[in-house]
Amino acid sequence: MTWLAATVIVISLTAWIHFRPVGPQPWTNDDVEILRSLWVGSLPVLPADPTNSVADDPRAASLGHHLFFDPRLSSSGGISCSTCHQPERRFTDGLQKGQAIGTSKRNTRSIVGVAYSPWLYWDGRRDSLWSQALSPLEDPAEHGGQREQYVEFIAADPSYRVMYESLFGEIPDLAGEDMINAVFANIGKVIAAYERLLMPGQSRFDVYVAAVVAGDDDLQNSTFSDDEIVGLQLFIGEAACTQCHNGPLFTNHEFHNTGVISFPGEVPDKGRVAGVRQVLADPFNCAGPYSDAAEKSCAELEYARTGPELIGAIRTPSLRNLENTGPYMHKGQIASLAEVLQHYNEAPLAMIGHNEAKPLSLNKRELRQLEAFLNTLAAPLATADVWLGPPARSLASKGDEK
Amino acid sequence: MIRSALLVTLSLIAFGFVQNSAHAHGGVVEEEDLCVIKVNYLRGHFKIYQPRIDGHEEYCEDLPNATETVFVMEYLHESLGEAAVDFRVIHDVTGKGRFARWEDVAEVTDLDSATVLYHEPTVDPDLLTVIHEFTEEGDYIGIVTANVDGKEKIYRAVFPFEVGFTGFGYWPFFIVLVLAIQGQYFFMSGRFDRWHARRKSPRSNVNAGLLLLLMCSPLMLPEQAASESPHEWVSERGVYKVSFESSLQPIEINQIHKWVLHITAEGVPVVKAELSVVGGMAAHDHGLPTRPRVSEELGDGDYRLDGMRFHMRGAWEISIEIEAGGKTDTVVIALQL
Repeated sequence: MTWLAATVIVISLTAWIHFRPVGPQPWTNDDVEILRSLWVGSLPVLPADPTNSVADDPRAASLGHHLFFDPRLSSSGGISCSTCHQPERRFTDGLQKGQAIGTSKRNTRSIVGVAYSPWLYWDGRRDSLWSQALSPLEDPAEHGGQREQYVEFIAADPSYRVMYESLFGEIPDLAGEDMINAVFANIGKVIAAYERLLMPGQSRFDVYVAAVVAGDDDLQNSTFSDDEIVGLQLFIGEAACTQCHNGPLFTNHEFHNTGVISFPGEVPDKGRVAGVRQVLADPFNCAGPYSDAAEKSCAELEYARTGPELIGAIRTPSLRNLENTGPYMHKGQIASLAEVLQHYNEAPLAMIGHNEAKPLSLNKRELRQLEAFLNTLAAPLATADVWLGPPARSLASKGDEK
Repeated sequence: MIRSALLVTLSLIAFGFVQNSAHAHGGVVEEEDLCVIKVNYLRGHFKIYQPRIDGHEEYCEDLPNATETVFVMEYLHESLGEAAVDFRVIHDVTGKGRFARWEDVAEVTDLDSATVLYHEPTVDPDLLTVIHEFTEEGDYIGIVTANVDGKEKIYRAVFPFEVGFTGFGYWPFFIVLVLAIQGQYFFMSGRFDRWHARRKSPRSNVNAGLLLLLMCSPLMLPEQAASESPHEWVSERGVYKVSFESSLQPIEINQIHKWVLHITAEGVPVVKAELSVVGGMAAHDHGLPTRPRVSEELGDGDYRLDGMRFHMRGAWEISIEIEAGGKTDTVVIALQL
């Protein structure tokens, strides 16, 4: 009988240790430094893009804004960049894979804050915003057109032509391939100038960090619930999320294999191992003839890593604005945040390559707390509303008013 | 979960394959990896998935269901990345079942009509992946062919397998199964892992009990002490001393930057050295995100190292192989970011 009682006590005590609710712990100085590194206020001034001479020219951004929303930049006349990059969904589309002329190969990434990334696309097969912007225009499943068509379109539209020529000089006689490529590249460069304006705004998480840094306990408590605080503690601690989701954009812009399951009907995605070959061979890359960069200023490209370690490696996405950007992962394989967290909790062996993540063994309560924290990263963009929808007036009508 | 555990355990017992548990971490380790296919002297890590039904469950040969199936061959020999590899699956029309060999397959007069899947010869530098939707259960034979250079050298691997494999002789294994499932449950419940992980984690105080906290506190001290980096590193055999200055002070993650390395031997600057640089994080089994190179010798033992970038906080190791005047040695710079 004594033994039975002792056993019951030991089991109860063990159960209590494992399952008792745990409240938030105070932040250490190291923690505060990590929080500050994730804060939107730590986002540096957007670095110049030496490959794009009009990257920060407001006239280029204005022309890019028009082109971004103009469905005439497609083979059908019905697809614009905003077909998939919808401003009301933080520039994503809510689908597993983009739907345009056909079905795109991967999930539509958000482009908010994307100008900070040295690599574009899930597999990093482009190395600048402008070279990325060119690819969908010619992808048969996306805009479906050809560069000659787009160049002729700009040359034939009087308002676009005026705007273009004020930036790049007269559109030359389009006889040669080089001329066509140069004008085509410039179309990408003005779209990039527009995309560089899309910046993340201050989320509830950022208010909380500001309160922690300022030592304002009242503001901390009124901003975050206990669950959200514990979720944040897990995020930077036990769950090891900041290994990849670090910095104010919650991404290291790098490529990692995290063992996400293959998309139905497809072999597993090779990811970066193939993407790096593509970017090195891309005529529109940083070192190519259409880049405005001076020689030897293409460090990322020059020192890009290759090799089998990159099999199945996918670029870390930002975690800002997760609330309406699902389904998640590079092919939208996972529908909800809770399931994403479950995936990382289990960290299964990768189908191809090697899963860098390790199982977390978090319990259900901790997973819910992590999810609660992730939802605090929602925020409207820091970009003025005029940029977040189609331009109010066409360039032509602006011209007509004179 | 129980069903898949049952199937896996059965196949383990039936064929003596030792697989990593789906929850184990470590990827492909050659010695532990028995799902190896030998295409003559070329070896590949061969694994099969039925992702729609069994998720990440890995099979070597026999498959439980007639469903979407993904065949993966990761190369253990570089030549496979240059070879034209084709992959064929046929109904077992040889009548030899598990003992079918290439000689038996070669005797099949109408290979095409027996073929259920044919993946054309393809040179893929990274790995072979083939997808097929099995519509019926039965006995099949898989044939991997690698053509290394020209038509002269054709290597083949043949493996018979069963789709819709339900096992046989449940009852003799019943007790073993119960024990295996119990054991698997014990590990899958994560209790052991969690305890183990927290013991090592500096953040263990968030959730673990007082006892664990006491246990891990002394462990944390040496870790913190280790983050104090020296300013000069001695190479493994003591030939060279190396110091560096980073163009980023302090070193931030996610920013590409340069280092200037200063190399001396017995107090004298080392000139005309050949340097090769690799780096990574031992804890995460991955290397640097870039491939840094020494771009210029600046004189007086100084070398400019371009293309440095770190993408995570934590313990990094940068290994520099130095060759000068016929002497080669390696220095490992440990950094805590």
